[in-house]
Amino acid sequence: MPIPGFFDEAVDERGRTREHYRPVQEWFDRLTPAQVSALEEQRNESFRRQGITFTVYGSEEGTERTWPLDLFPRIIDAGEWAMLERGLTQRITALNRFLDDIYTGEQAAVADGIVPRRLVTSSSGFEREAVNVSVPLGARCLVAGIDLVRDSDGAYRVLEDNLRNPSGISYVIENRAAMTKLLPAAFADLAVRSVDHYGRSLLRALRAVAPPACGDDPTVVVLTPGIFNSAYFEHAFLARSMGVELVEGRDLVVDDHVVAMRTTKGLERVDVIYRRIDDHFLDPVVFNPHSTLGVPGLMAATRAGTVTIANSVGNGVGDDKAVYAYVPELIRFYLGEAPIIPNADTYLLWEPDQRAEVLERLDELVVKPVAESGGYGIVIGPKATDAELAEVRNKIEADPRNWIAQEVVGLSTLPAWTGDCFSPRHIDLRPFVLCGEQVEVIPGGLTRVALREGSLIVNSSQGGGSKDTWVLGHPDPAAAS
Amino acid sequence: MRLDISYRTKFVFDSPVRESQNELRACPASDGRQRLLGYRVSVEPSARMLSFTDYWGTRVDQFGITDAHVALEVTAEASVETQDPPTFSRQVPKGSLADPGFLDRHEEYLKPTRHTRWDEAIAKQARSLTEADADDVVGAAAHIGDHAAERLSYQPGTTDIGQPITEILANGTGVCQDYAHLAVAMCRSVGIPARYVSGYLFSSSDRTGSIEGDIVRVQTHAWVEAAIPGQGWLALDPTNRLAVGRQHVKIGHGRDYGDVPPLRGVYSGPGTPKLEAAVEIRRMDPARQPPTPMRPSLLAAVRAPRTRDQQQQQQQ
Repeated sequence: MPIPGFFDEAVDERGRTREHYRPVQEWFDRLTPAQVSALEEQRNESFRRQGITFTVYGSEEGTERTWPLDLFPRIIDAGEWAMLERGLTQRITALNRFLDDIYTGEQAAVADGIVPRRLVTSSSGFEREAVNVSVPLGARCLVAGIDLVRDSDGAYRVLEDNLRNPSGISYVIENRAAMTKLLPAAFADLAVRSVDHYGRSLLRALRAVAPPACGDDPTVVVLTPGIFNSAYFEHAFLARSMGVELVEGRDLVVDDHVVAMRTTKGLERVDVIYRRIDDHFLDPVVFNPHSTLGVPGLMAATRAGTVTIANSVGNGVGDDKAVYAYVPELIRFYLGEAPIIPNADTYLLWEPDQRAEVLERLDELVVKPVAESGGYGIVIGPKATDAELAEVRNKIEADPRNWIAQEVVGLSTLPAWTGDCFSPRHIDLRPFVLCGEQVEVIPGGLTRVALREGSLIVNSSQGGGSKDTWVLGHPDPAAAS
Repeated sequence: MRLDISYRTKFVFDSPVRESQNELRACPASDGRQRLLGYRVSVEPSARMLSFTDYWGTRVDQFGITDAHVALEVTAEASVETQDPPTFSRQVPKGSLADPGFLDRHEEYLKPTRHTRWDEAIAKQARSLTEADADDVVGAAAHIGDHAAERLSYQPGTTDIGQPITEILANGTGVCQDYAHLAVAMCRSVGIPARYVSGYLFSSSDRTGSIEGDIVRVQTHAWVEAAIPGQGWLALDPTNRLAVGRQHVKIGHGRDYGDVPPLRGVYSGPGTPKLEAAVEIRRMDPARQPPTPMRPSLLAAVRAPRTRDQQQQQQQ
């Protein structure tokens, strides 16, 4: 039964299984607990064998853990997905326009008073070294991960944008591969849209942003900080699925503002770098001079237009959580459209009135630092201790620009296996959006689930799990593209 | 004043280095006060230049040398025509610093940065220097410049770039960057937006160099600009306790030294460099104008307070 006060994805308010979940629900209803446990064991063994793990920073136990995939899938029907696809395309289009406006445009959004100038200049993600560096097609967010939740009415809301180095897509693909092997029968009669074309789509987008002068067969590489990075598995996975080289900074060299990779056959020119290194480690000439992860001269080569870096440098100003609060206005400003997927209700703590209200209600709200990702630094008022609330209050008062507050969104629920039965657990969704020649939303995305009863924290770094996400094909095959 | 400037930096390494990547910021700016007439950069060993304007409006020349080398010499030559800056009205109430539009435009010049982080002692000192007259932002900035000039004694080689100003103050010695960072930090601590300026100074009594006729041999220089509501950027040279005038040639500005270093870069290899750097400035129009006299105080550079009538006329 659904938890009162929350929207359940699979069951309606009268306890009936929703139409698009019926075949899967019936399939799971026939399984005995022993059969479920056996499937789980099979899943763990398969992930262990393939080395599909993730790293938790700051954890005292072993930092590598097997990827937690819950067997009960999340299902999105065709009509709902069509709305999400439109909404995500709209949002990313506006964010790309905003970033291009800030870095190489007229700063029209500032000039027209849509965002205050100081919102940009005070953002730790605003990268002055990227000003006047143009990006082919203006595709600055080549890969974006937009975190969505469903509130208690079932309405989708954007919780945050991830425009720098969003990770998780490899788990989407691996989850699907595992589910197809484990539960082939559950897919029977359902037209679940494929996700395994991701490598091809990513490569197509990366090739589309190659410098125009480099010809029609650009060389693409994936740049990783190395094996100690928590997402190294994904970096290797993406390079493999695109059939391109996985390189570290020391494998690249810049000569006369052209980037080349050292190979056994000598230097080979590189045209597009899908980098999974943070801005500040990319080039020791202009950023952290002590970084050995990056490539000296890379920013100058990018500025010279001989190579394209994706995602673009400086995207952090676009996913700054204080800027997030303005995204609905940016959509109206750049596109002249009403936002299709609304934000969560957000308070800007550098506005004295909003700050005063938030400090009154700190124990009812969620407080987040503006530039972090992965759930780090978040304080959930209703669950926080008095000491935690006092600490965050001090931090807000010391640096209000660095914090936002949001109303608690009652994340929707979906059954998850809890050891002996399926019980409702809270979930969110991170769809992945690619921008090359055009915007492409990968069907579904990463559904994260808070495995602890009552918990709203879905981050894998904080004890969350994941679910395979099924987008159903269009009921009328002729209308599907 | 017409000045020809030759900037030269040479690194000599004790063993070969490779893959050097560098950015040069040595080109005089063109703004209301100065006009760039010509600029040329050369590098030995030769390298292809990428020239661009950065976020702060400064011209940058970027170049890399991939092959092994034991010396790197960078030469920049500029011709520039300078004028004295306009004078500032002293009657600017401090309340105008809190104008929302003014704050919005100057947000990045009001915060501490790596080189301008102040402590409570510095802020307190700045408050005591500036609280006397509530209607004189210009005077407040000039008092801060004078104070920085008094607090430090000029002594090359006693400080490193990146040393906190609190430490520099404790030692009481420094070079132009330190004077500038101290004045910038003090201005910001009392809410006056301030920026760090990199440039050249042609001066017969400058403490940083020598003079032979119309040629001076100096190092690059640094000074300060403070934002005065309604009037623009007031430039002050605390190192020489001097109003910025036609003998100052600006390269560019930023939040601190880190935004306008004359030369920055990295290289690969075990070699350690020995550095020779020199700036030679030649005055090209000596006959027509007498040298600008030095002024005893930064405040002397700004005009006495105007009456209200004059101000109103000014606005019409």
